Amino acid sequence: MVTDGDQSLRSSVHVAPLSINKDRSRGSSNVSSHRRNLSSRSSNRTGDSRSSQSQMTPPATPNGSQEDLRQHIEPQQPVFHNFLRAFYPFHPTYAVSDTTVTLPLNEGDVILVHSIHTNGWADGTLLVSGARGWLPTNYCEAYDPDYMRNLLKALLNFWDLLRSPMTRDSELFANQEFMRGIIAGVRYLLERSNCLTRESNLVQSNDGLRRNRKALLSDLSALVKTAKRLQEYTVVHHHQTNEDEVNSTIDEMILKAFKIVTRGVRFLDVLEDDIRSRQQPVHRAMATVAEEIYNPPTPPADSTSFGGTQQVDPAYEAASRRSSSHSSASGLSNLHEQTKRQSQSYKRMSTPFPNNSSSSRPLSSARPTSAHVKRQSISHRLSASIPAAQRQNLVSEKLNASHDLFLSHLASVIGRYNLQSQSSAELILSVRQSVTAGRETLLVVEAICAHDLQSAEALDPARNTMYNRINKLVNAARDIITAAGMEEEDVVMPQQNGRLLTAATECVKAAGECVAKTRFVIERIGDFEFEPQADGLGIDIASIGVASIEQTKPSLEEVAPQSPTPQEPASRPPPPPLVIPSYEKPLPEVPLGSTPIDEDTTRVSPGGLEPVVEDEPIEMASEDTKRSSRRSLLPPLPKMTSPLLTQDDYSPSEQSVNEGEFQPSFRSGSIAISTSGTSSTYLSSMRDSESSIISQTSTRATTPDNSVYVPRNQPSISDLSMSGSQSTLADDADEGESKMLEKTFAHELLHKEGQITGGTLPALVERLTTHDSTPDSMFVSTFYLTFRLFVTPVELAKALVDRFDYVAESPHIAGPVRLRVYNIFKGWLESHWRDLSDHEALAVIEPFAQDQLGRVLPATGKRLLELAQKVSSANGPLVPRLISSMGKTSTSIAQYIPADTPLPPAVISKSQMGLLKNWKMGGSNPTILEFDPLELARQLTIKEMNIFCLIMPEELLGSEWTKRSGSNAVNVRAMSTLSTDLSNLVADTILQYDDAKKRAIIIKHWIKIAHKCLELNNYDSLMAIICSLNSSTIVRLKRTWDAVSQKRRDMLKGLQAIVEPDKNYAVLRRRLHDHVPPCLPFVGTYLTDLTFVDAGNPATKQLPGLGDCEGMSVINFDKHTRTAKIIGELQRFQIPYRLTEVPELQEWIQAQIVRVKSSSENENVQQYYRKSLLLEPRENLHPKPSPIDAQNGWSAGQKEKFDIFAWTHSRDKERSGSVSATPI
Amino acid sequence: MSARTSQRRDYHIVVLGAGGVGKSCLTAQFVQNVWIESYDPTIEDSYRKQIEVDGRQCMLEILDTAGTEQFTAMRELYMKTGQGFLLVFSITSQSSLAELQELREQIIRIKDDENVPIVIVGNKSDLEEDRVVTRQRAFTVSQSWGNAPYYETSARRRANVDEVFIDLCRQIIRKDNTTTPSLEEDVVYHRRERRRPHRSRRKKKDGVCTIL
Repeated sequence: MVTDGDQSLRSSVHVAPLSINKDRSRGSSNVSSHRRNLSSRSSNRTGDSRSSQSQMTPPATPNGSQEDLRQHIEPQQPVFHNFLRAFYPFHPTYAVSDTTVTLPLNEGDVILVHSIHTNGWADGTLLVSGARGWLPTNYCEAYDPDYMRNLLKALLNFWDLLRSPMTRDSELFANQEFMRGIIAGVRYLLERSNCLTRESNLVQSNDGLRRNRKALLSDLSALVKTAKRLQEYTVVHHHQTNEDEVNSTIDEMILKAFKIVTRGVRFLDVLEDDIRSRQQPVHRAMATVAEEIYNPPTPPADSTSFGGTQQVDPAYEAASRRSSSHSSASGLSNLHEQTKRQSQSYKRMSTPFPNNSSSSRPLSSARPTSAHVKRQSISHRLSASIPAAQRQNLVSEKLNASHDLFLSHLASVIGRYNLQSQSSAELILSVRQSVTAGRETLLVVEAICAHDLQSAEALDPARNTMYNRINKLVNAARDIITAAGMEEEDVVMPQQNGRLLTAATECVKAAGECVAKTRFVIERIGDFEFEPQADGLGIDIASIGVASIEQTKPSLEEVAPQSPTPQEPASRPPPPPLVIPSYEKPLPEVPLGSTPIDEDTTRVSPGGLEPVVEDEPIEMASEDTKRSSRRSLLPPLPKMTSPLLTQDDYSPSEQSVNEGEFQPSFRSGSIAISTSGTSSTYLSSMRDSESSIISQTSTRATTPDNSVYVPRNQPSISDLSMSGSQSTLADDADEGESKMLEKTFAHELLHKEGQITGGTLPALVERLTTHDSTPDSMFVSTFYLTFRLFVTPVELAKALVDRFDYVAESPHIAGPVRLRVYNIFKGWLESHWRDLSDHEALAVIEPFAQDQLGRVLPATGKRLLELAQKVSSANGPLVPRLISSMGKTSTSIAQYIPADTPLPPAVISKSQMGLLKNWKMGGSNPTILEFDPLELARQLTIKEMNIFCLIMPEELLGSEWTKRSGSNAVNVRAMSTLSTDLSNLVADTILQYDDAKKRAIIIKHWIKIAHKCLELNNYDSLMAIICSLNSSTIVRLKRTWDAVSQKRRDMLKGLQAIVEPDKNYAVLRRRLHDHVPPCLPFVGTYLTDLTFVDAGNPATKQLPGLGDCEGMSVINFDKHTRTAKIIGELQRFQIPYRLTEVPELQEWIQAQIVRVKSSSENENVQQYYRKSLLLEPRENLHPKPSPIDAQNGWSAGQKEKFDIFAWTHSRDKERSGSVSATPI
Repeated sequence: MSARTSQRRDYHIVVLGAGGVGKSCLTAQFVQNVWIESYDPTIEDSYRKQIEVDGRQCMLEILDTAGTEQFTAMRELYMKTGQGFLLVFSITSQSSLAELQELREQIIRIKDDENVPIVIVGNKSDLEEDRVVTRQRAFTVSQSWGNAPYYETSARRRANVDEVFIDLCRQIIRKDNTTTPSLEEDVVYHRRERRRPHRSRRKKKDGVCTIL
C-alpha cells in the first residue's frame, strides 16, 4: 500500500478518523451522544437540527443519509477530540519492539488523546491504567457526554497544568486552583444526574449507582488529600522542597484524577442503564420511528438484544466502508464475522455503549472532509504539557520558531538601518535570512491551510499580506543593491535604506498578524505534526544572495528571474512552492492495513509504527531513562500481551479468553455492577486489578512522556491504593460526600491559562473567598478596582452576604470562608471605598455585620460595623492604600534608585539664577535660550511627573477623563492640559521672533530639550515638543528651517520616529515595554488603550452551552483584567524622578505657560497659524487659494491682510500688557 | 480588472470626532474579526484590517484618537498620517456635529487639499429616540463640506460600519487614480465611481443616510 503513493495517500486520509466530528470544538458544545440517549432517541432530530443552526459545523452524529448530504455541501473541519472511548476491543498482536507501544483497549475504555496521526493512530493515555501508547482511533468514538463535560474539561486542565514543566511553581500548588475544577466537575455530574445527595431517590433505588457514587466520592477525597499534601510541601517547605517527592505526588494525583474520571464514566454508564431500563418501552417505539425516517443503510444487527442496537452496528459500517475504500473484498466476509461477534459481545455486555451507531458515522462522514484535507500528519491537542522535545515537530512550535527566527533576522535588517553604511553583501545576507525565515513561517501557515480548509479562508488575508510584505522587502533590497551596484561601490548608504526599513517593519507587522491568526486556528483544530522540507524553499532565496555575493557587483536583474518572489504577485500568492513540501512529506510508514480490521493479514507492525513513535519523547530521555522506560514499555501489560502474542486473529473464543484474562479490568467492574454481584468482590477486584496492572506500567504512567521528569520508581499507584483504597472506603466516601455538598459556583467560571476570564458574580465572589488558599492578589486587586463596572455595590454586598450564608451548608469550610468574606468587606471599606457610589451598600453591610456576622463572629461583626459607620463620615479611604497597589508590587522605587544616591546637581549657573531673580523682581523675561536644555528638560520632567504620580486608578475607569463636565479625573486632565500647554509654549516661543535666524535658534534649542527629555525617558514632554515642532504652523516656516543645521534636523527626525503614531505607536510601545522606571510615558496611549478595551470587548461572555441550554451569560472578567493591567502598567511608572527641583525655574516655566494660556485662550492653533503665515507668507507658487480661505469666502490676499491685522492687533494687546510681551 | 486585484495597497484612515460619540466602538467593530475572542488594543495589529473594495485588496490602517481628544496639540500628528478621514459625531449631540467643523478645517489646512477624502458619520443611529441632529441637518452640513458622503451608523448594532470604511477607501482609491493617471481600467473605474454618490443617496437601507 505504501508503494503506491497516490493510493496510499488517499486511503490513508479516508481511514484516518481524524475528524470524529461530533461537535464543533473541544470542551464546548451541545448535542452529545449521551444526552441523546439519555433523554430519548426521539430527540435526535430536534437536537441535530437545532445544533446545525446554532453552530457553524454541522454535527456529525446523524443517523441518516440526510446528514451525508449536508456533509457534502459544507465540508466540515476536523475537530480534535480530547477524549475517546473504545467501542470495540483492541488487542494488538504485535511483535515486541523497543520503540512501539500499542495500547490494548477494552470496550468502554476512555482515553485522553494527545495526538492523532493521519493514519488513524492516536497517541493516548488510557485513563483506566494511566498507560500511554498508540491506539487505533477507528475503534473509538469521541467521548464528551454532557454530564461529564465539566469533569473532562477539568481533567484536561489538570493534566495540562500538572504536566507542564512551565507551570510548576509553588503558587500553583498553593492555591489549589486545579482541584476546584475536578471537584466542580464531579459535583456537576452528580447534580445533573440528580444524585448529589445520598438521599436522592435515584441513589436509594439503584444499588449500582449508589456504590459507584460512593466510590467516586471516595476517590475524590483521596485526590483532595493528596493535593493537600502537595500544598503542604510547597507552602511549608517552600524552597527546600524535595523535587522527587513533589513529582511523585503529582504523578499520584494524575492517576487519581484519571481514576475519578473513570469512576465518573462508569457511574454515568450505570445511570444510563438505569434510565434505559425504565424507559425501554417508550424507547423502542421512538427508535422505530427514527429508523423509518433515517433509513439506515444497513440493517440492524441483533436489534432485540437491547435498547440501543436498533441501529447500525458501528464496527460493521466502519468496516464495510473501510473495506470498500480498500477495495479488498476478501476481507469483507471476515468482517461480517467480526461484526457478528461484535454484536454478540454487545449482548454480553451489561453496559452497552449507547451511541454505538453514531460512533460509526463520524468515520464515514469524515470522508468528505478528509478528501479535502490534503495532507494531515499528527493532530495534537494544543497543550502546555507536551514536552519540548516532542514539541519540535508540532506545527505550533514550528510556527513559533520560524516566526521568532523571522523576527530576529528582520531585527538585524532594521538594526542595520542605524549604521552609517554597510556592505551590500551584509545587507543581502540579512535580507536573505529574513526572507528564508519568512518563507518558513509561510510554509507552516500553508500547511495549516492545507490541513484545514476553513481556516485557510480565515488565514488567507493575513497570509497574503505577509507574502506581499516579504515581496516588498525583497524588492526594496534588490533596488538598493542595484543602485549600489551602479555606483560601483559595495556600500549602501543609510538613506537608501528607508524603503527597506519600511518594508522590514511591515514584514514584522504582517508576520505578527498572520501568526496570531494562525495560532488561533491551531488552537481550534488541534496541533499537528509537521515537517517542512528544508530544501523546498531555501534554494531560490539562496540564489539571490549567492549570485550577488559571488559577483560582488550584484546585478540583480540577472538574478531577478530566479527570485522566488514574482515581480507582480498574484492576488493570492502562488502557493505551490509553499505547499508542495507538505505533500511530499514522506508518508509515515504505518501500514494502512494495520488498522486492526484486517488483523490477520497485517498486524500492527512495529516497524511500521516506528516513524511515528519516534516522535515520542521517551526517546529523548537520557540513556538510562530510555532503557528503563523501554523496559517498562515492552511488556506493559503482561497479562494481556502473552495471550495476544500468540493470537493471530480475533475469534470469539479468544475474545472470551481475553475477557477472562481481563477480568480485573474496567469492564469486569461494570459487569459486576450490573449483575449486582457482591460488592465486595467488585471492589476488591477493582482495587487488585488496578494496582496490579498499573503498578507494572507505573513508570510510564507516572511519567507520561515528559522528558523533564526523570521516571521514578515510586509507583504512585501503590500510594494510590494505599491512601485511596486502603483507608476505609466509608470514611473517604463521607469526606467526598461533604466535598460534594459544598455548594460551588466553580462551573460558572471561565479560565484561560490559569487566569479567570469570566464568571457569574457568585462564582467570582467565591473565588475571592476560597477556603483553602489565599486568593490571587492580581485577581483581588482587579476586582476591587473594577467591580463597579460590572456590578452595583449593593449587588456585590449581597453576593458576599450570600456567600457567607450558603457556606453554612458545608460546615467544614465555613470558618475560613466566612473570615474571607469579612476580609473582603474590610478591604473594601478600608481602602477601596468610594462613598459616592458605594454608600447604598451600607444598607446591606450594616445589618449583615450586626446579624449574620455578629452572630457567628461577634468581634469581627463589631469591627465591620464600626468600619461601615466610619466610612460614610470619613473623607477618602480610611486606610490609605498605595496609589500603585497593582503595578508597584514588583517594582519598588528602592529597586531602581537607591535612596542614598545623591541627587544630580542642577545645571544652573549663578548668572542664570540672577536672571530669574531679576525677572521675579519685575525685570526682563529671560528666553529659553538662557537656560541649559538639560535643566529645562529636567524641570519639565519634574513638573509633569508630579501630576502623573497623582493619577488615581479610578480616574482611568469608565472613560471618566472624557466626561465633559464634572469629571473626577482631575489629574488625567491636568496631564493633557499641561501637554497641550507645553506644545503651545513651543510654538509661541518660536513665533516670537520676526527674524528667521532667531526662530531657527529657538527651534534648535527645543530640539535639544526634546532630546534631553528622551534621555530622561520623559516621553510625554517629548511628544508635546515634537507635536509642536511638527505642526503645520511650524513646519511651513521654510526659511526658518533652512537655517537649522542638518544635524539638528536629523536629530529631530530620530525623535519624531519614536513618537510616530504609525502602527499603533509601535516604536513607542516597544520602548516602553519592560522599561525600567523612572520614566514618564506618554499618557495618551494608555487612554486610547483603555477606551478600546472598553469598546472592543463585550461586557459578558457565554459559557459553553450544555445540552439543550443556551450557554449562560457571565461577566467578561477578562475585559476588566485587561483594564486593570493597563492601569497597572501606567502605575508602574508612578515613581518620582530623583532630580533636584529648582523652584525658581519651576516658577518661571509655570509663568510662561500661564502667559501663553491667557494670551491665546482656545484659539491657539489658529492664532499661531496666522502668525506663521505672517512671518513667512505663502509663496505664490500655489496660486490656488487656501481651502479654508475659500471656505470662508476670503481670497488668500484678503485673508493675509486680515491676518496681519489680527496678529498686530493681538501683539499690540500683548505689548500693552505687562511682562508677558517680552520675548523669552 | 484582474491586474487590479493583484495589487494591494495600504491606506491610512484617521477617525476623528469629539469624545463620547462612539468612535472607538465604530473602529473596534470594524477592525475586530468575529472570531477574535477578546480584543487587545495594545498590539501593533490592533487597528489594521484588510478589506476588498471593488475587487481590490486594501489594507486599512486606522488611527483612532479615541481617549486622547483633550490632547489637542496632537491632532495634527494624527492628521498628518491620514489619507482619508472619518468625521464622527453622535446624532444625540448637536455640539459633536459642530466640533467637526474645526476638525475639518484643520485637516484641510494640514493636507493643503480641499478634496481630501472625508466621510461624515452620524453614529448611534440605534438611539433614534434621543436624536437631536436631524438627518436633513446632518446631510446639509455634509453637502456644504464638499459633498462629503453622509452615513448614519450604529456601532452597537454593527449597522453601516463596514460601509463607511469602504466608502472612504473608495474615495482614496479614486483620488489615487486621478492623481496618478494610468490604465484604461482606471477610467472605467472612475466613471463608475462617479455615479456612486447618487446611487447611494437613492438606496434606502437600514439607516443609510439618505435624505431626499
